Amino acid sequence: MKKKSIIELIVGEWNTKTIVAVAIGAALFGVLMVYGGVQVFTNTKLTTAMLIPVIVGALFGPVPALVACGVGNVLADLIGGWGFWFDWSIGNAVLGFFVGLLPVYGARIDEGIFNVKHAVIFAIIAVLANALAFGVITPIFTVLFYGGELTITFMQSLTGGASNVLVLTLLGIPLLFLLAKRYGGSKNLTKE
Amino acid sequence: MSKRIFINIVPGKTFLHKLSGKTKVGLFIVCIVYTIMSFDLRLLAPLMFLSLIAIVSLKPDWKVIIVLFIAIFLMNFFNIFLYWVVKPDIGSEWTGGTSTILYSFSSYYFVSLETLWYLLVRLFKMLTSFTVSMAFILSITPSELASGLHGLGVPYKICTVVSLAFRYIPDISRDYENIKVSMQARGVEMDLRKTPILKRLKQTIYILFPLIITSFDRIGNIANALDLRGYGLKKDRTYYAEVEPTLMDKLFRWSTLALFLFCLAWIVSRNIWEPATKMWFPFEV
Repeated sequence: MKKKSIIELIVGEWNTKTIVAVAIGAALFGVLMVYGGVQVFTNTKLTTAMLIPVIVGALFGPVPALVACGVGNVLADLIGGWGFWFDWSIGNAVLGFFVGLLPVYGARIDEGIFNVKHAVIFAIIAVLANALAFGVITPIFTVLFYGGELTITFMQSLTGGASNVLVLTLLGIPLLFLLAKRYGGSKNLTKE
Repeated sequence: MSKRIFINIVPGKTFLHKLSGKTKVGLFIVCIVYTIMSFDLRLLAPLMFLSLIAIVSLKPDWKVIIVLFIAIFLMNFFNIFLYWVVKPDIGSEWTGGTSTILYSFSSYYFVSLETLWYLLVRLFKMLTSFTVSMAFILSITPSELASGLHGLGVPYKICTVVSLAFRYIPDISRDYENIKVSMQARGVEMDLRKTPILKRLKQTIYILFPLIITSFDRIGNIANALDLRGYGLKKDRTYYAEVEPTLMDKLFRWSTLALFLFCLAWIVSRNIWEPATKMWFPFEV
């Protein structure tokens, strides 16, 4: 198999399969964000939607995960009826990008490669990315788009970020092991 | 859940259904900018009124709509209540610093006129945004959404992502119901009232993992179907749903443009020149 360059890994191959995967990822992200969670704070949920960028990122790369999260969050706002919060859509998209970095540091889920080292890197990135996305990027856009309201935004960031880290580590890592086993099992042929 | 998610696949027959995709998408985007840009009841009320008229004119299934409205209202009400719990004096920084106390529980928790006004306007704003979204969802089909976005200059692959995702939402709710029923057939208790919350969370995962895996397994089928029809061969494409604008379309597009210019003027004069944390407050002393 041809070795891919790092830029190819980050952008992903935008063929039909990736487009469909991103679309389905976005739809799942939207629906799970509205129905698949428990509310922890005002407009903030412990949501299972965060599993979607894990899968899209693992199979297709970080930029597809970014698009899936961004579009998914806008769809969630559309069907959720809590108003449009583009600052959070951008924050989630950035988070999706970092969560989706899996193939870049060598975890190839579609070939069944995912071990404890990758899981540790994944967990560390999940914590840092939540801090960056909701602690820095979302507040910047909150000020730009909606003006002020930073106290509540930071409280939302803290609760939302903490619940995202919980979902990503407690559910995301087992899911990645499961998927790696599933894909690895069917592709154990070696080239002679 | 299945009753709550509904989209049109086939174009309807009413006036708004017949507008072209580009008109509807453009108007929707400008309306969303309009709701976001201010906390001014004088601006929000007309849009709320117009979007309610639009919903009525689209002749929806009222049983579903009313249940949805009540659910959304309660959710938003709970959200603004939490705002009050966190910051009881949140209104005064928006209305100009004063705070007229109507009733106080303790020195920290009090109900002031300013906070009440701010939270009510906020609730109204969320509901306006919801009615606009509702009118949009009820009036558009996935192909019109794609062609509309493409008409506004979005690359067609992104249009496909958006419209396919929009179209896939009802399928997810159907899959969810199927998985739930088959889990129940295997003896897993799914009734919300009969299981404690932690067990319920665990059972949500029993539904979630199959749901995610079946959805991602379907990628191959959909991608093959698209490829077989020659998707993605050329740099650009046209849409079947893209039609010549009628007189009504032109009228709506001009009004959209006018509204857009108004939004632009408002944002520049009110949000950029002055500090944005200001709202219209009729009871000012």
